[in-house]
Amino acid sequence: MTSATLRHTVWVLRGNPVTAVAAGGAFVLCLVALIGPWIVPHDPIASNVANALKPPSAQNWAGTDQLGRDVFSRLVIAARLDLAIAASAVTLSFAVGAVIGAVCGYLGGRLDRYVGRFVDILMAFPLFVLAMAMVAALGNRVENIVIATAIINLPFYIRFARAEVNVRRNAGWVEAARACGDSHLSVILRFLLPNVLPAMAVQVSLNLGWAILNAAGLSFIGLGVKPPTPEWGIMVAEGARFIATGKWWLVAFPGLALMLTVLCFNLLGDGLRDILDPRMRT
Amino acid sequence: MACALLTFTPWRLAKRGRVADSLQEFYRGKMDIMTRIKISLFAALLAGTALTAAAPAIAQTRAETLRHVTGAAINTLDPNMPGSTREAFGLSLLTYDRLVSFGRKQLDGKWVFDLDTIRGELAERYEVSPDGLKIVFHLRKDAKFHDGTPVTAEDVKWSLDRAVTARSLAAGQMLTGSITKADQFRIIDQHTVELTLPQPDKLALPNLATVYPVIFNSKLAKSKATAEDPWAQEWLKTNTAGSGAYIVESFKPGETTILRRNEDWKRGPGNSQAHFKRIITQTIPEASTRANLVERGDADIVIDLQAADAADLEKKGRLKVISTPQYNAITFVSFNTQMPPFDKIEVRRAIAAALPYEDMFKAALFERGKKLFGAEWAGGKAPDGSTFPIVQPLKTNLDEAKRLLTAAGFPNGFETTFSFNVGQAGTAEPMAALLKESLGKIGIKVDIQKLPDAQMSTLINEKKVPFFTEGIVAWLPSMDYFYRNFYIGPIRWNYSSLNDPQITEWAQAARFEGDKAKYAAYGLQLNTRHFELMPQIPLWQPSQDAVMATSIEGYTYQFHRQIDFRDLSRK
Amino acid sequence: MKLGATANRAARRFISSLPALFGVVVFTFLLMRVLPGDPAVFFASGPQAGPEEIAMIRAQMGLDKPVPQQLLLYLRDLSQGQLGRSLTTGQPVLVDLRNRLPASLELTLTALLIALVAAVPLGVAAALRPGSLVDHIVRFVCALGVCVPTFVSGLLLIYVFYYLAGLAPDPTGRIDIFMSQPPRVTGFLLIDFAIAGDWEGWQAAARQLMLPALTMALFVVAPLARMTRASMLASLGSDFVRTARSLGLSRRKIVVTYALRNAILPVLTIVGIVFSTMLGANVLVEKVFSWPGVASYALDALLSSDYAPVQGFVLLMASIFVLVNLTVDVLYGVADPRVSVE
Repeated sequence: MTSATLRHTVWVLRGNPVTAVAAGGAFVLCLVALIGPWIVPHDPIASNVANALKPPSAQNWAGTDQLGRDVFSRLVIAARLDLAIAASAVTLSFAVGAVIGAVCGYLGGRLDRYVGRFVDILMAFPLFVLAMAMVAALGNRVENIVIATAIINLPFYIRFARAEVNVRRNAGWVEAARACGDSHLSVILRFLLPNVLPAMAVQVSLNLGWAILNAAGLSFIGLGVKPPTPEWGIMVAEGARFIATGKWWLVAFPGLALMLTVLCFNLLGDGLRDILDPRMRT
Repeated sequence: MACALLTFTPWRLAKRGRVADSLQEFYRGKMDIMTRIKISLFAALLAGTALTAAAPAIAQTRAETLRHVTGAAINTLDPNMPGSTREAFGLSLLTYDRLVSFGRKQLDGKWVFDLDTIRGELAERYEVSPDGLKIVFHLRKDAKFHDGTPVTAEDVKWSLDRAVTARSLAAGQMLTGSITKADQFRIIDQHTVELTLPQPDKLALPNLATVYPVIFNSKLAKSKATAEDPWAQEWLKTNTAGSGAYIVESFKPGETTILRRNEDWKRGPGNSQAHFKRIITQTIPEASTRANLVERGDADIVIDLQAADAADLEKKGRLKVISTPQYNAITFVSFNTQMPPFDKIEVRRAIAAALPYEDMFKAALFERGKKLFGAEWAGGKAPDGSTFPIVQPLKTNLDEAKRLLTAAGFPNGFETTFSFNVGQAGTAEPMAALLKESLGKIGIKVDIQKLPDAQMSTLINEKKVPFFTEGIVAWLPSMDYFYRNFYIGPIRWNYSSLNDPQITEWAQAARFEGDKAKYAAYGLQLNTRHFELMPQIPLWQPSQDAVMATSIEGYTYQFHRQIDFRDLSRK
Repeated sequence: MKLGATANRAARRFISSLPALFGVVVFTFLLMRVLPGDPAVFFASGPQAGPEEIAMIRAQMGLDKPVPQQLLLYLRDLSQGQLGRSLTTGQPVLVDLRNRLPASLELTLTALLIALVAAVPLGVAAALRPGSLVDHIVRFVCALGVCVPTFVSGLLLIYVFYYLAGLAPDPTGRIDIFMSQPPRVTGFLLIDFAIAGDWEGWQAAARQLMLPALTMALFVVAPLARMTRASMLASLGSDFVRTARSLGLSRRKIVVTYALRNAILPVLTIVGIVFSTMLGANVLVEKVFSWPGVASYALDALLSSDYAPVQGFVLLMASIFVLVNLTVDVLYGVADPRVSVE
């Protein structure tokens, strides 16, 4: 990071406390995800049926679930999996989308038209139902949830990258690189993509939150990760079924964790947009 | 938000007579005293009119209406359609009559259907010949279909012919009572029909009381039949041609079904009509919402709540909760006895010794059901042979489990999967988590598979699931029926793929055994052998928690695990 | 002349979207066949469900033929306007969809309306003072709406407003079960009740709509407010607003008459996209509120591997997506002649 960007960042953050707080929150989350297993007070998987469905207490800070497992410990441990699902889903669609989009935008022609058709098809799908169908077809394992989430995000990245590259492909510096004997591949990788990535990074942060919610929705209809793995979406989905009996802690705490995480990423995405491109802020 | 809701809710508030208070509170301090008086006057007026004019009329029809909510959907009006849901079966008991129906008995203080008492429904009486080969049904002379035409022997003959001939669910069921061919039914006269059996069969009569052999208005149905569809199956999916206690007023599959009382049907207690004038069945997918509805009095009865909600409502004590262990059902953990390592009896017995029964019962079912574990069997022999299932001598003993596992050649355990379907996740998921934890202690690593329902049934049908949990139900819960339908042959319901010549032989022999003592002797051998082989670990019989308004009376647990609304009344 | 050109453009645009629709049909068809569940087995629930019964259902669903042939048969049926039959409800899919689509549309449109009513003022307020406290609060409030899963906010709203407060009617579908339905004209209850002149019924239907519509609206306020803010900022910074300012016009007149009117056009284009996304994404809201819409119908069918309803639903959603986009494009072209639709 150059000092000018750094100065700009600091300046933006100062004028933008919300983003600063969101960045702090995201940092804490990542930290929790990293060191979670060493800081939890209880084993998140160990059951203790005699102690089931107890409200929050000094012993169990966020109460216990149906099997007497400590909700707080499960929340902390779940952070890693949830962030991993979201991050890998978004990274996947980002990487694949950027490359496909850039190649299409650069080369144009028939390939571009075919990919464009494919993107049209994907866009016309009701996305959540598509994700459901894919997870149902492939089996509800973590990697399939990631793949499904990545695929339904793909069209946006492809379109974005394609549009950005298309605008620049005839720019003077691209012509210059080509004139110097650079191959198409190297032009795309060394010159075009780096110019497009920052704008796409904003989308990444916004999509992270969305990916987590998507996984939670899949859990609600029973297509989430396998039990007894702790995951916020499943915890919320299971807790939601205890709303009627007033066991509020089962839905409130995982719901809060989910909410804060998504909130952090969304606000951070907004803020990033300011930092990377003040004019683009919308 | 609050504001938006208030503007949309005067009617409901008025009904509760609280509109004046709420509005006053809402506006307090925001306006001068005159405005406030005006508003309360207006509100009082509104409340007054609503209470005097609308309320009595609504209240009256409400009391005569029964509102039932369920998570599942009624998908057909003809219970014989392949794919019919349990709720559709339930409905058909109201819209159609059968020749006979089950009586009821008390089991541990709860009313349940009785397989051994078969009483007349459309038949006012029946006679079984001394050799058990002929059953003669004498039809009621006053019975009429919904369109007013009388029920005759031709209708009965056509309907039963349809049951054994048409491509529908009925034929497979009737088979279990030795009823397979149309020429077994003979019209003797306008009001008498005779059924001939190839051999005496205890289950022939009970089969005629199940949901399938309903009696159709044959003239009406035939008028809707076509060359490709001689039994009018297409038309009957969305139309009723019956004589039952209720008439379908509106049918929206997967949403709402509204039934109107058939005023001509007078076969209730003391030859009365059914009690409720209208019955509304609504599909509410969210279980917690169903609990809220019945707790707030908006719904009158529900039988498919989550165990936790039922326990909570029972504790609150404001509703009537009748909790009947489903004595014709079993929830079990099953092995595929043809797939290694579960082809070894020691492995199956090791797992049976390692399950944390009490914890599973508590966490999954909130102890709402009848345990099938924890018995003592003297000398390892089953104490009872007249029924199935019986309580098993199963106990958690990890040392024993470890020993058996070593004996089977797996001192360090093995890896396997444990499957259940999404539809059962509420109880199966906590159970699976406990099972995984406990088996981990003897070295068996379990990967839990939660499969969409259609996928699970497909895999089970293809016998590809090694280790899983399922539940079974028998409409006709006699001992040999269980063994013949769930533990023999390459059929789908033989979950454990058990192929034991002795069980097969004894179960087939017991089927036609008329002597009670000999029948029980077969049962003793079967029950003992079943436990020794351990193809499945029976866990419990979950309760059917019927939660209803305190004014509702007459609830009976029925064979098809639905409510027979003809039994119900409001105090 | 201009009208003809617009129609021409619309027609060309429509034809160019047909391949995408065809792709959706084929892709969905294949995806459903990949599902590991065999519907015939699932629906063969009889006590003696042996191979015969399963084969019978399979033949009934046409699953006994090879997949390419099934696809051709399906395409033939489609060309005749047939969508097949649902095993879950026992009805033709077309009938089910026709009965249920108005419920989904009414819910989505109401939610969209609520969201717009909330989002436009929020976006304008934020744009008037970019970087101020108001801006930050708006941004935060909007972000809050998008960060709760809809099934949680739905269940919480039910718990609070129905169970605890008794303010909302029971969450059991489109209308109080004890009220009579209006004669069906459009299928939209609010419109049908209005046509019938039954205002008590109209209120009942509106009350029933409130909670699910709110749940859905919460989720789309953010993108709409963000778009309003951006286009308002652009519009406030443009020449004609500067000119209006220099002429000394009142602030109110500048903001409402000049800036907002020009800013609303881009917002309306995004409304189209938001609408079609919402329509497909309200699966969980419909589920939670027992709303008899098309999305919950497709969900049930999907979980039981009931092919025809899922295929029909996806085709319907894709068609609506295409139509909405087309409409937006055409409207945009009418409003701004400089825009040409390829």
